[in-house]
Amino acid sequence: MRLRNFLGLSFEIAKSSFKLRNEGSYLGIFWYLLNPLLMFVLLLLVFSDRLGNNIPSYPLYLLLGIILFNFFQNTTTESTKIIVGDYGDLIKSINFPREALVFGIALKCVFSHFFEFVLFLAVMIIFGNSLSGIIFYPLILIFFFILALGFSLVLSSLTIYFVDLGNLWIFFIRLVWLATPIFYSIGGQNRLFLANLFNPVYYFITISRELIIYSRLPEPWIILGAVFYSLLSLLLGLLIFNKLKTKFAEML
Amino acid sequence: MERIIVEKVSKKFKIGFKKKQSALSRILSLFSGREPKKPLEALKDVSFKLDSGEIVGIIGKNGSGKSTLLRCIAGIYDYNGRIITDGRILPIIDPSIILRKRLIMRDNIYLVSSLLGSTRKQIKKRFNSIIDFAELRDFVDTKVYQFSDGMRARLAFSMAIHCNPEILLLDEVFEVGDESFRVRSAEKIKELVKKGASVILVSHDLAVIEKYCNKVIWMHEGKIVKTGKPDEVIKDYLNFKDR
Repeated sequence: MRLRNFLGLSFEIAKSSFKLRNEGSYLGIFWYLLNPLLMFVLLLLVFSDRLGNNIPSYPLYLLLGIILFNFFQNTTTESTKIIVGDYGDLIKSINFPREALVFGIALKCVFSHFFEFVLFLAVMIIFGNSLSGIIFYPLILIFFFILALGFSLVLSSLTIYFVDLGNLWIFFIRLVWLATPIFYSIGGQNRLFLANLFNPVYYFITISRELIIYSRLPEPWIILGAVFYSLLSLLLGLLIFNKLKTKFAEML
Repeated sequence: MERIIVEKVSKKFKIGFKKKQSALSRILSLFSGREPKKPLEALKDVSFKLDSGEIVGIIGKNGSGKSTLLRCIAGIYDYNGRIITDGRILPIIDPSIILRKRLIMRDNIYLVSSLLGSTRKQIKKRFNSIIDFAELRDFVDTKVYQFSDGMRARLAFSMAIHCNPEILLLDEVFEVGDESFRVRSAEKIKELVKKGASVILVSHDLAVIEKYCNKVIWMHEGKIVKTGKPDEVIKDYLNFKDR
């Protein structure tokens, strides 16, 4: 019963913040697609002849990378604004499970990710790719969600102590974006490969591409890495959040 | 039956001079030493008990620890000491800020009521009763930023008491809202109390306190100065205030 209440509350938070974001916007969900679509078209125009030359189905490779990274980026950046910014006054006046805020915001990002994924499906169909790999996607998304949730728990609770953590994170995530093989492939670059072993998003992007675009089974160590990083991040997230959450109300 | 037992509760805040700190200055302060912080004791050894069916009023000057005490009981702050509560607690502290101003009233009711611990099904059932009690039926699809302060307070209060709380913590809620709403709120609270709920009422309106409370606690600088019958405590408080 308590879990149901928690999920219900998270869902309400997700819904209301989704509505707040779309408030007064005439284009509605089109805005969700504009960012990945523009990025996709731009990168495709610039790189398809060079970096994408040796990559099979480069447009799909690129778009899937963009929308997956977008999900992680949106969830984590928004999480830095929850506690100090948007919901601070609620925390000071009602004693509700604080985790529901982070969970709700992450759920909202899943909603908007769905729109982007539909765009990806459309492009898949246009390019005549086999759609059979999609059955694995829900499972991938669950673990990817856990990863993003873990990061969000850490980030949202730390903003209490470091007010401008949000700004730092925007900068940092930009660096990660460049270091992740989104519009290029790692190929034989050893240093880049080693660096990406510590980049959890890399594992998820690789698995998704292998399964969904190329209908191949990814190597076992990549799957293990993805599961390991997502569980580790959730564990750390819960530990840190639990430690700090009693301080939220008085630090605001 | 005892609803709330508060035993030797103390609460200390560390008051800094710079409130907001950036990550860079945090790191720098590792080398330059921490900034001086002054401890402030908001509550010192506060103890009292509250039975079911009782309404207790808390009076005292600004900064005497009234709201801090409510937040400790509600579980919003952590504290030293022991607080045992029995029943669903519902704090109404600064009611209108919990509303999301850019959402319409209907969405606000769903969001805030779930934050207060209700399920979607329960909210659906109570929805009409909430808007009728707040007398806001015509504004269900209006965004809350266009409401007046009184309307917001009425809405927030109406949502809270429709959650059927067993312990109701009210922080200066009677200071807003017009006379007729006050009377209806008081009626509703009395109804809850009759069913066995307990109420802690913080207010600067001594007339309200005297009228509705069975017991009054007078706080000063984080300590309980006097507990007792409303007329006696209020008389002493007024004498003290005058000096």
